Amino acid sequence: MIVGIPKGLLYYKYNPFLFTFFTELGANVVVSEDTNKNILDLGVKHCVDEACLPIKIFHGHVASIKNKCELMVIPRVMQLEKNEYICPKFCGLPEMVLNSIAGMPPAITEPIYAYSKNSLYKWAKTAGKYVTSDIFKIRRAFKCAYEVQSQHRTGINSNQHDIKIALVGHPYNVYDNFSNMNLAAKLDKLGISVETMEFTNDFLINMEINNLYKRPFWTYARENYGFAINAVKEKRFDGIIYISSFNCGIDSIIIELIKDKIGNFPLLILKLDEHTGEAGIDTRIEAFSDMLERRTKHESNIPTNG
Amino acid sequence: MKATFPQMGNIYIAAKALFEGLGIEYVIPPKCSKTDLDIGSLHSPEEICLPFKLMIGNYIHAIEKGADTIILAGSCGPCRFGEYCELQMNLLKSMGYNMNFIVIDYPKDIGMMELYRRIHKISSESKKNTIQKINALLNALKVLNLMDEIEETAHMYAGFERNKGECKNLLIECKKDTLECDNAYSMIKIMNQYNQKLNHLSVDINKNPLKIAIIGEIYTIIEPYSNFYIEEKLMDYGVSSSRKLTPSWWVKNAALSPLKINSLKIRKNAKKYIPIGIGGHAVECIGEAVTASKNGFDGAIQILPMGCMPEIVSKAVLPTISKDLDFPVMSLIVDDMDGEAGYITRMEAFIDLLERRRKNALSGC
Repeated sequence: MIVGIPKGLLYYKYNPFLFTFFTELGANVVVSEDTNKNILDLGVKHCVDEACLPIKIFHGHVASIKNKCELMVIPRVMQLEKNEYICPKFCGLPEMVLNSIAGMPPAITEPIYAYSKNSLYKWAKTAGKYVTSDIFKIRRAFKCAYEVQSQHRTGINSNQHDIKIALVGHPYNVYDNFSNMNLAAKLDKLGISVETMEFTNDFLINMEINNLYKRPFWTYARENYGFAINAVKEKRFDGIIYISSFNCGIDSIIIELIKDKIGNFPLLILKLDEHTGEAGIDTRIEAFSDMLERRTKHESNIPTNG
Repeated sequence: MKATFPQMGNIYIAAKALFEGLGIEYVIPPKCSKTDLDIGSLHSPEEICLPFKLMIGNYIHAIEKGADTIILAGSCGPCRFGEYCELQMNLLKSMGYNMNFIVIDYPKDIGMMELYRRIHKISSESKKNTIQKINALLNALKVLNLMDEIEETAHMYAGFERNKGECKNLLIECKKDTLECDNAYSMIKIMNQYNQKLNHLSVDINKNPLKIAIIGEIYTIIEPYSNFYIEEKLMDYGVSSSRKLTPSWWVKNAALSPLKINSLKIRKNAKKYIPIGIGGHAVECIGEAVTASKNGFDGAIQILPMGCMPEIVSKAVLPTISKDLDFPVMSLIVDDMDGEAGYITRMEAFIDLLERRRKNALSGC
């Protein structure tokens, strides 16, 4: 059995789990290539126009490996934490993919509730049945995959420069180097260090959330908001860069909430879409880095308001 | 306290009945208009959906009339509507208005006590006794159900009427007259009269008008301004239309959803295409499309605001339904650019298509 895993959306965070689970079950795993122009074009061709860039890219990944595998994994991630969701499009992802791309192989579309080991095992049990009927094998594979995943760490934390920014955004925008046009490397070249959300304690994130009237019910909204506000408070950073995709429903709210809280702290919002205009992104991050440099080098002791 | 609430279709009529019954001062914001949208788009975040922008306009108008408390329904589903309250509070604060917000959320998300506390904030303003309060609530529900019933009948009869424009006029007059009443009982009386009139309308049952189902995101299909009065226009064309998502449906759905016996038919029909709820009204949209095709409708129009997350999923599914059931569906995306002509053209083209399909079917091609 050849199992296809598309390299899109939450793959960047949870790839060890999926990969280990299916290889341990004895399946051959085909993972799509890193995102590239070809995959983006495929995605734009197959997906509904209104969807956001990450969803389109996911469609592209699926389309690029649909003929190479006998079973496609479409992770319908419903919840990562209790009472929290990701985005409605994640809940309806299999529907979007299966109805938009013709000639699909059978797909695993069971909902994933990943807030506890038990609830995740439920998914593994049904998903594993597609490959093998041996329940012990499934359990072993699941244990192994869970182990590997819990040891897996993502995140960027570089410290070699004087200026440091907090890089905020959904994992699929932060870690997909094609869609964000190698942002981390570009910032490094400009003399800016980067830190992502994974290095801030959950406790500190939740502390900021408690100041809101209503607790956000999106996992990444909670994390991004908490991280950004904490970054401003702790004064470890000189600025924030928020990578968002065009027409992202969650970011349209979270960015507003962040803006509302941080006052005039430097914040750059980069919107990604399928038009690969790299020069535009370059200009904006260069201008932002110039501004940060001026602030830290020349104006650190002088109040800007005279 | 002077309460207000966002405009959303017929809800203002029920709210009027409720506040009159409770004896609480209230302001009905003027009907959604271009100014609402302009104010909203000026102050709201750029990428937020259309309902948010219109609501901001409603609030500003209500505040100008003296409102100081905003009552808003909430949700904790994955759709953006649940986060409206937080943003709107911040936004109004930054504009210099100090408003009270009372958000009515589902008890499973905020706890029964908190819900009770929030409702108490409203009911403590009323000097009526408990029985009168419950009566007021029941009357408001009755008003809501009646209004939706009248509207549904008028939309359906519009295709069959002998005197053109009669349904539309009756509906408009009914709303106008109801709004002039000062208590729920006279509202119900007047609405019953109009209901009678509608049911005794001279209709031609031999006519076989086009039947179109209106499906999609609840706000944009209920609030006529946001969809360029599509239902009134369909009535003008002599097309019968049907829309199952109404405020009274919403109330019933919310009340029954803890027991999971809400909208069984819709969920059953949608099951093949969307097996689980994904938030918003995506399942309802799909279920409605399937139901409409089974009920012999000629086509369906899906209306969604730009960037609506659940409806994007259903928009991806609708072409499959259309193919499977040989049922034309058109999606109209509304945003804050008011290009009415564009929408009208598409609607007319869709009606033409449906008519041509019928003719061809009859001639046997």
